Amino acid sequence: MIKAVMVMNTQGKPRLAKFYDYQPVEKQQELIRSVFTVLSSRAENVSNFMEAESIFGPDSRLVYKHYATLYFVFVFDSSENELAMLDLIQVFVETLDKCFKNVCELDIVFNYSKMQTVLDEIIFGGQVLETSSTEVMKAVEEISKLEAASNAITLVPAKYASGWNRR
Amino acid sequence: MALSGMRGLSVFISDIRNCQNKEQERLRVDKELGNIRTRFKNEKGLTPYEKKKYVWKMLYIYMLGYDVDFGHMEAVSLISAPKYPEKQVGYIVTACLLNENHDFLRLAINTVRNDIIGRNETFQCLALTMVGNIGGREFAESLAPDVQKLLISSSCRPLVRKKAALCLLRLYRKNPDVVNVDGWADRMAQLLDERDLGVLTSSMSLLVALVSNHHETYWSCLPKCVKILERLARNQDVPQEYTYYGIPSPWLQVKTMRALQYFPVIEDPNTRRSLFEVLQRILMGTDVVKNVNKNNASHAVLFEALSLVMHLDAEKEMMSQCVALLGKFIAVREPNIRYLGLENMTRMLMVTDVQDIIKRHQAQIITSLKDPDISIRRRALDLLYGMCDVSNAKDIVEELLQYLSTSDFTMREELSLKAAILAEKFAPDLSWYVDVILQLIDKAGDFVSDDIWFRVVQFVTNNEDLQPYAAVKAREYLDKPAIHETMVKVSAYLLGEYSHLLARRPGCSPKDIFSIIHEKLPTVSTSTIPILLSTYAKILMHTQPPDLELQNQIWAIFQKYESCIDAEIQQRAVEYFALSRKGPALADILAEMPKFPERQSALIKKAEDIETDTAEQSAIKLRAQQQPSNALVVTDQRPPNGTPPPVGSLSLVKVPSMSGNSDYNVVDQGVNQTNGTLSKTDSQPPSADLLGDLLGPLAIEGPPGAVHSEQTAVSGVEGVPSAADAAAIVPLEEQTNSVQPIGNIAERFHALCLKDSGVLYEDPHIQIGVKAEWRAHQGRLVLFLGNKNTSPLVSVHALILSPSHLKMELALVPDTIPPRAQVQCPLEVTNLRPSRDIAVLDFSYTFGTSVVNNKLRLPAVMNKLLQPIQLTAEEFFPQWRSLSGPPLKLQEVVRGVRPLPLMEMANLFNSFRVMVLPGLDPNPNNLVASTTFYSESTRAMLCLVRVETDPADRTQLRMTVASGDPTLTFELKEFIKEQLVNIPGASRGPAAPAPAPPKGPAIPPDDPAALLAGLL
Repeated sequence: MIKAVMVMNTQGKPRLAKFYDYQPVEKQQELIRSVFTVLSSRAENVSNFMEAESIFGPDSRLVYKHYATLYFVFVFDSSENELAMLDLIQVFVETLDKCFKNVCELDIVFNYSKMQTVLDEIIFGGQVLETSSTEVMKAVEEISKLEAASNAITLVPAKYASGWNRR
Repeated sequence: MALSGMRGLSVFISDIRNCQNKEQERLRVDKELGNIRTRFKNEKGLTPYEKKKYVWKMLYIYMLGYDVDFGHMEAVSLISAPKYPEKQVGYIVTACLLNENHDFLRLAINTVRNDIIGRNETFQCLALTMVGNIGGREFAESLAPDVQKLLISSSCRPLVRKKAALCLLRLYRKNPDVVNVDGWADRMAQLLDERDLGVLTSSMSLLVALVSNHHETYWSCLPKCVKILERLARNQDVPQEYTYYGIPSPWLQVKTMRALQYFPVIEDPNTRRSLFEVLQRILMGTDVVKNVNKNNASHAVLFEALSLVMHLDAEKEMMSQCVALLGKFIAVREPNIRYLGLENMTRMLMVTDVQDIIKRHQAQIITSLKDPDISIRRRALDLLYGMCDVSNAKDIVEELLQYLSTSDFTMREELSLKAAILAEKFAPDLSWYVDVILQLIDKAGDFVSDDIWFRVVQFVTNNEDLQPYAAVKAREYLDKPAIHETMVKVSAYLLGEYSHLLARRPGCSPKDIFSIIHEKLPTVSTSTIPILLSTYAKILMHTQPPDLELQNQIWAIFQKYESCIDAEIQQRAVEYFALSRKGPALADILAEMPKFPERQSALIKKAEDIETDTAEQSAIKLRAQQQPSNALVVTDQRPPNGTPPPVGSLSLVKVPSMSGNSDYNVVDQGVNQTNGTLSKTDSQPPSADLLGDLLGPLAIEGPPGAVHSEQTAVSGVEGVPSAADAAAIVPLEEQTNSVQPIGNIAERFHALCLKDSGVLYEDPHIQIGVKAEWRAHQGRLVLFLGNKNTSPLVSVHALILSPSHLKMELALVPDTIPPRAQVQCPLEVTNLRPSRDIAVLDFSYTFGTSVVNNKLRLPAVMNKLLQPIQLTAEEFFPQWRSLSGPPLKLQEVVRGVRPLPLMEMANLFNSFRVMVLPGLDPNPNNLVASTTFYSESTRAMLCLVRVETDPADRTQLRMTVASGDPTLTFELKEFIKEQLVNIPGASRGPAAPAPAPPKGPAIPPDDPAALLAGLL
């Protein structure tokens, strides 16, 4: 099972944090910090594996990928294949790339909700849901359409709408 | 740059980004939270768009690390909104902010169900995603059938069905009963005929979870898995979108091979042959290529294939082919593949007959110790450690020693421990062992724990041939200009004991030895000075005829320390001074240390505790079984010198001012004390265990009476380090802790038998809480060790004494608990077969100078493995009749029952999860109940109970218990009997020691529990 997905920048600022076994918010931040401390000390051109048991407890593995200013980190247990997890990071990033056309950190910062939607179509309750980025894109676009339809309604000036409701 | 389409959110994110520091950020966040809170209060004024905007802001704030503790109710209520945007927001925020135990969730179950059974696919997806992420037990019970329907429905789109598969997996994890094992197996097999690879991938994950618990039920899925693998490996009918860098869905290939690893054997020769063909194709057809992503994907498949080959226990030829492949991998340029190559080689060690092939790669593995990547270096170290045996120990250990000087600080401790263990286990000769340990101390003294030098002292003491050699070596190290303090300790100790064996060599006269050791005294800490004083006393004794000058020098030192502020130093100075004035009597008292009794190496034990990598751990265990320790130690239980000490007098401990009379006492105690005092080198012993190692002789030599009287006297004197001795040598029943528990340990245990979380133990220093989760025959207990003090608790040790029917694995318990901190230690429990025996937690810690040791019963009791089951009369009676007579059905008349009204008895049964079925028995004085028991040997097994009471005499009843397993029937009958007869609080269970009645102030038991609940 996948325990957590984290995206953070090279300064250690979290850009996405999803924990598939519940962690209180302070613990989440502590875990992100610990991971970042180790990641930032790793050189380029080394393996994508990092010792995780001292941070996440026994039976935890961690793979990460470094893209420009971002780290993508997956934490999981021994029931998953390490390299397959690494591939899944690649699928996640490729899908984001399709979404935003050459994704950069700013896209992710300002489209936090979209990134969350993409992730939810790839990983579901800590399990791999979909591995084809084409399929993921289809699902995400469907959701976007539904959202856009609802946004259109709000083009009615909000002031009037709320004024109506209050009366 | 694309924008989210929510302007307010973008503005807020920009604001946060523009914050100069954390303080500004906090102010901005607080302002926003205040704003959202006000807006939520007049909820009617919010448009769907606004709600959505605010909720995304909340999630963003939550991700930044701020607690969002409001709006939960609003979020949950949005789920029932009729329109997509509000519903979507409701589901997303609920899944992010709430956990499965949140009370509000329960309110939403019906709405969620309506969305799942409704026709709107987008709503179905939203609902499934939420349940799949945070659905708990209650969701499992009420939603599982509907989710199953979606999964097997032919009219649903793959998008919905793949989510349904994983949602069902979540529900199954929460309650295994929701997947009806018998009926489901066929459906599961049908699901594997699916053509859509997305649905198939999800279904495969579900299958993996199911077969990991019940492989025998899913036999029919095995050939289908092989078919899927063939389809993928031959790239037949794989759509373009599922081909990843030219490889047909590597994830599905990997998952399928994972599923196959849960079937113990593949009997059908045709299936086996097809599978081996596919595996062979994968093994042969994978090359290292330039594209990193392609490489990763193809090797993901390849490494999984290797695991499967190992699991299938293939012919030797195929295995050597695998090792050859791995040998190739550990030398490639691609670091990920080097890493996995080493890791898989370590796993491979467990397979018989390949060790020799692996040894051929030793040189390459040693090179990996110098890899630029620490992850790879760690794997190399693990592998070297695992593959070490008598034949290559010298090479490997010497490599490790060499590497020690250049290795990272983070690895040094592990490295030195591993080197020490290998040296001890596989030493071709003992002088080499001494060399290794001394080099270890010399090169990495800071990382050499006390266990390591204690152990070398023990070896030297027990092996006479080794003594002159060790003394020479120690003498050589003392010539070095700057040596580590641990080296001072070990050299001083060894020279004190054995330097007289060298007396004729140049530079080894007592005077020389004394002055070279004494030179170090100004540089050492107070924990080392007592050792030096002992060494001086020993040198003095060995100087025959006495050398007056040396004697005066040493006496002057003793006198100087007679007023030392450190009690340990002062005591030794006073004693040695008095003793050394006894003249020849000194020789009897300060004679050579007796041999230590052989015991399990504390080092190896420690290493096993440290190991967390499961594969590695089993490698160690395997080794431990294969290689009996070749420690060449003879146990000599007779005291080699002097007579046993007289019973009683303990004036020594109090360190009185030295006057003529108490002098006499001191001398009499000498024989006993030399050993004891010398061993207690640290005023704060690192661990009770370890002390036990060095204190061994004391425990054995003294007649039981002597030991006891000493120990009772000791516990009377507060804060005397010898309390540790008591813990180490006193048998279970007689443990005397100076620290009294708060509350009644037995009552706490009994309360925990009926609930899943609460306080197990508490005293003024520590609180131990337990939180348990039970699923079928497995349980996960988390021990919460909370330090209540403002100073750390050290030498924390926890050992599980588990009865044979429970397999228990306790995670690493840290040696030290920082002040006011709480550490969590998960404990995994697997129940192998029915039994009422109870596991015990042997727990100890040191606070200040007192060692506290407790044996606590763990609430991993039989009723935790029961799951109530509701049966109708039509289901109950055929079962009842089919189980006819002993040993499956046992009847007993129980007398001396605690008199209970029938209603209360029914409650009692329900409280330990045996479900009373009202109205099933026509006689109103009888009770009929049913439950399911889980263990590895019995699987889920139905148990039926009938109790016939006598309204005229409530103290007796007739009980009949039936199940499909004779042991289970018997154990359950005895268990229920205990519940009926016993008064809560009385001890029960053969493995459980009777806990001491509490002497501390009694606090109502629910009080600390409430406190703990707050902590959790």
